[in-house]
Amino acid sequence: MDKVEAHAQRPVSLGITVDDEAAVSEPAAEATSQIPSEDSILPQEDSIDLGGTDFVTPQGDSSATPTESLMDRLNDQMMESVMISDSPNNSEEDDLAPIDSYLDGGEPENATPGNIEEDSEIGQNMTEIEVSVGQLEQECSEEETKEGEAAQQRVPASVSPQGDTLSPAANSDDVPVRGISPKDEPVPVCTIFSQSTLPKSLVPDGFQPTLIKSPSFTMGSAGGSDEAVTPSKLTAPLVCQPSPSLSKFFADNGQANPASDFFDSFTVPSSFISVSNPNADLSPGAGPPPMPLTPERQLSSASSISTPGALLDSASPTPSPVFGPAPTEPNSNSQPLPPQNLPAPSPAPAPISATQAQPFNQLQAVFSGSDDPFAIALSLSEVDRRHDAWLPCEETRKVLISVATQQYSTAYVESNKLTMPGLKFDNLQGDAVKDLMLRFLGEQAAMRRQVLTANSVEQSFIGLKQLISTKNWRAAVDLTGRLLTAHGQGYGKAGQPTSHTTDSLQLWFVRLSLLTKLNLFQNAELEIEPFGNLDQPDLYYEYYPAVYPGRRGSMVPFSMRLLHAELPQYLSKPQEALDRLHNLKTVCLAILENLEKGLAEDGSMITLAQENRQASLKLWRSRLSRVMYSMANCLLLMKDYVLAVETYHSIIQYEPQQRVQLLSGIGRIFLQIGDVKTAERYFQDVEKAYEMKGSNLSHATCILMNRAFVYLSQNNYADAHATFLEVLKIDPKNPVANNNAAVCLLYLGRLKESLGQLEGLVQQDPTQYLHESVLFNLTTMYELESSRSTQKKQALLDAVACREGDSFNAQCLKLV
Amino acid sequence: MDVNQAKQEHLLALKVMRLTKPTLFTNLPVTCEDRDLPGDLFAQLMREDPSTIKGAETLMLGEMLTLPQNFGNIFLGETFSSYISVHNDSNQVVKDILVKADLQTSSQRLNLSASNSAVAELKPECCIDDVIHHEVKEIGTHILVCAVSYTSQFGEKLYFRKFFKFQVLKPLDVKTKFYNAESDLSSVTDEVFLEAQIQNITTSPMFMEKVSLEPSMMYNVTELNSVASGDEGESTFGKMSYLQPMDTRQYLYCLKPKPEYAEKAGVIKGVTVIGKLDIVWKTNLGERGRLQTSQLQRMAPGYGDIRLSLEVIPDTVNLEEPFDIVCKITNCSERTMDLVMEMCNMRSIHWCGVSGRQLGKLTPGASLSLLLTVFSSEQGLQVRCKLPEATF
Repeated sequence: MDKVEAHAQRPVSLGITVDDEAAVSEPAAEATSQIPSEDSILPQEDSIDLGGTDFVTPQGDSSATPTESLMDRLNDQMMESVMISDSPNNSEEDDLAPIDSYLDGGEPENATPGNIEEDSEIGQNMTEIEVSVGQLEQECSEEETKEGEAAQQRVPASVSPQGDTLSPAANSDDVPVRGISPKDEPVPVCTIFSQSTLPKSLVPDGFQPTLIKSPSFTMGSAGGSDEAVTPSKLTAPLVCQPSPSLSKFFADNGQANPASDFFDSFTVPSSFISVSNPNADLSPGAGPPPMPLTPERQLSSASSISTPGALLDSASPTPSPVFGPAPTEPNSNSQPLPPQNLPAPSPAPAPISATQAQPFNQLQAVFSGSDDPFAIALSLSEVDRRHDAWLPCEETRKVLISVATQQYSTAYVESNKLTMPGLKFDNLQGDAVKDLMLRFLGEQAAMRRQVLTANSVEQSFIGLKQLISTKNWRAAVDLTGRLLTAHGQGYGKAGQPTSHTTDSLQLWFVRLSLLTKLNLFQNAELEIEPFGNLDQPDLYYEYYPAVYPGRRGSMVPFSMRLLHAELPQYLSKPQEALDRLHNLKTVCLAILENLEKGLAEDGSMITLAQENRQASLKLWRSRLSRVMYSMANCLLLMKDYVLAVETYHSIIQYEPQQRVQLLSGIGRIFLQIGDVKTAERYFQDVEKAYEMKGSNLSHATCILMNRAFVYLSQNNYADAHATFLEVLKIDPKNPVANNNAAVCLLYLGRLKESLGQLEGLVQQDPTQYLHESVLFNLTTMYELESSRSTQKKQALLDAVACREGDSFNAQCLKLV
Repeated sequence: MDVNQAKQEHLLALKVMRLTKPTLFTNLPVTCEDRDLPGDLFAQLMREDPSTIKGAETLMLGEMLTLPQNFGNIFLGETFSSYISVHNDSNQVVKDILVKADLQTSSQRLNLSASNSAVAELKPECCIDDVIHHEVKEIGTHILVCAVSYTSQFGEKLYFRKFFKFQVLKPLDVKTKFYNAESDLSSVTDEVFLEAQIQNITTSPMFMEKVSLEPSMMYNVTELNSVASGDEGESTFGKMSYLQPMDTRQYLYCLKPKPEYAEKAGVIKGVTVIGKLDIVWKTNLGERGRLQTSQLQRMAPGYGDIRLSLEVIPDTVNLEEPFDIVCKITNCSERTMDLVMEMCNMRSIHWCGVSGRQLGKLTPGASLSLLLTVFSSEQGLQVRCKLPEATF
């Protein structure tokens, strides 16, 4: 390769090449040009070398395959890194004389014999550089193997022992949780799993733990618990009905709700206290007052665990035979007055507020004490309808209508129209920071790393939220896995019939969005795949008239639809993402149109109160603008700048308060393309908008930032730096301006200052500055500064370890 | 390798980093609604993330600058910038440090260091910084040679060098086509149209800031790449003037010989120099590149020895009614010609007049005008008209 190049590197001046090339490529043209008439018809076509040198070489211009040769070169290029890492031995004083003479390729004495020498010289260079490349490769391969390990851990079909233990076969006899991971064994997890032993003693009548599981879940564990129950389940297909998860609980002010309100659906209070977390369910003021465990009580707790039978019982005043009435029970509930017909009954608000204020068991009392219409009214709050509205496809709609009109039972819906999700991987996510600490700082240091894990929090939504807010998203993924397993949608359960509840879908949503946040897109894709296009009948409330009497609309949260639509764009399938986003947009627009026509969201003829209509319009407009944002982001990823800019621009009409940010963003897009003039035009628009609105701190910084970016694009780093400093005068804590000013300093050749500034920031305000981008800049400068960058990076690792959760992207430390 | 490792460690460390433009950090918005399980947790996390745009967290493109992550590609016409840092890793003061950065290309060696004077001393943990810039003018392998010489505490003179090799690639593929506007009836003929196809063969989008034709002294040029609308012409390429990777764009130019050359229009022959294309583009955050093509040359349309052009011809004529046309005959050869005109009738066009007429002698470069009368026997548009044959 190098020989070829050496051959090619014939010094050629610009003018000559063109002559050459004209001579080479034009004889034909000349020939034709002799004939006057043809000349004007057949214009000659030249390809022009831009002052290039290697036209004459075979590999040179090969215009036939420009891409190929380009690719070759690009690949070459890829090998080079920013920093050719130096080892002290890279310098050779000895051979400097020969190298000098060789490198002065223009000297005449090199003309003939020098060719060989030149090769050898280049060879030397090569080896020199290869040293570093070699190191890089080694590093790469190391990384790869590491990645490989990581991947192995992540891949669903993992060979790891845990995988086996969780496979359906493994939990045949007993509680699947045991299988979650061997080392977890002493730690009790979801309390419901231990029921197989407990309830027997507690429950006097036939309510056996098996009841509590949805079929797919019990399939594996049925044998172990109660033989008597299983057959009856077979006769009662309704078993797979979900519980009426108390979705309102995490409605508007989810934060304010007492803990247990959430957890009842997954973890049962008091009676099944987890051992390691004795106070897990005793969250302050949340736990239900200790009550004698009456069968009734038992039922209520059981009901929350997605057992249709149990649920129905709790809802109906008579807790009589469970299995017999199950099929008939829906009838009592399934004369849903169209929910909207109900004039929002005055008692309705009261129970709702009660639910928020009071523990679960009291709510249960409300439930059981109420008549059907009342219950219907309760579950049909305006808010629900507004948020859950969706327009299913024609086919799904037919199924839902027939379910509602009892033409056939849900049991007869073809299984390929059902949604049967399950975890695709069940191994623990681990903690990359800790791994790095083990490797670089030793075991003792690694011991200091204390992060929450799925085991150390309550096995509930509360715990989940805790993990999310402390940025332990990996642990949160683990926890969602457990909770879903509890719901019967665990590892290996994909493709098995199951039931859906508001809660289970919310869990899936959280899990998938966390995977996305962690950049584990493949995993997210694998797991969202069974959901199809999120439009199957069993994802609508209408499908479960018994469980959600009168409730209508989509069980799938809108945010999950959005996530589902966005996901392909991260997997190099942006076109698919765009298609899905356009579908979402179409539905949003249709719903808005319905609302504007005076109909309900789904187009039904219902008169909405004015304020409800307004609230609904507001909600759906904001959803539409969110979809537009996603589309614009996707287009930006696709580098379709024309459409991206257009789309961002169109968002302004929905979000006028974001005008400044959006215009500035568009300006930055133009800067990215390199079109500085157009960018400046947009930035001027921003300044106009600012003048009209009057002073506003954030807008003032925005304008200064824009100016700085323009300076940057004009290669004027000094003014850019000064402008970032101006931002800091207005807003001294602005992390972006601080970071960007430091970056400018580097381009000005002031490495030490730049480093000092960034280091100071990270030390003074770690919460703001332990950010991926800042750390990446800092480590890059460390590498540039001295040969001892590793120590400094390790110090950063230490800082990170004290503050950041397991979702920290350790790659930015560039330690590996 | 083994031999090298035996060598002593140097007191100074040399590090080089290519300074391409920084990039803007993009974040990955994942949102939920208040009613969803995480409540406003996701929104809160995004608000707290310093890299998001406050008030518009779902906007992907942030404002945080990040340093280049790898060497990237460098293309002909771009500026190669590099940070050179020499750091004193030792715990002793080092004296008389001279850092020299040269760029070795296939044809030449350039000195890129800003200053060539030695630094008197360098304390431990201090560094000498230099940022070099070089506009790349050659394709192919380039080697950045950094040499550091210094004197240790003990007066020992030390020296080391490092090589950094990179490839310079071709950013654009340019193809040109010439179209000769074979004479309208005016005497100002010889317009040449140049179509230039410019293809982006890099891997990133490219904003074409300027693509202009600098004509040679014989020609005036009109750019035909904008549609006149109002004060400013709107580009034919739409509002956004950027080229995606592998996209090609056609630019069109009209060249007219300057009047003083137009006189001799008929005799512009052979290879003429038309001019050269000047291309300026920008990529990420204003990274700029500029190229000029070599002189574009064109083979002037050969007219053979004699050139005949129509000077006057009516646009509509009545059927079977004679009309006049004026022809101009130019001698493009080097010799004097003696011309005879033969008239041959065609199916629909008939000549009026005498065939075999002597037109007299025509010296090289000279021309004469002929008034001829014809009539048409068929109606409709007559596409072709065979003109009188002249012999010499």
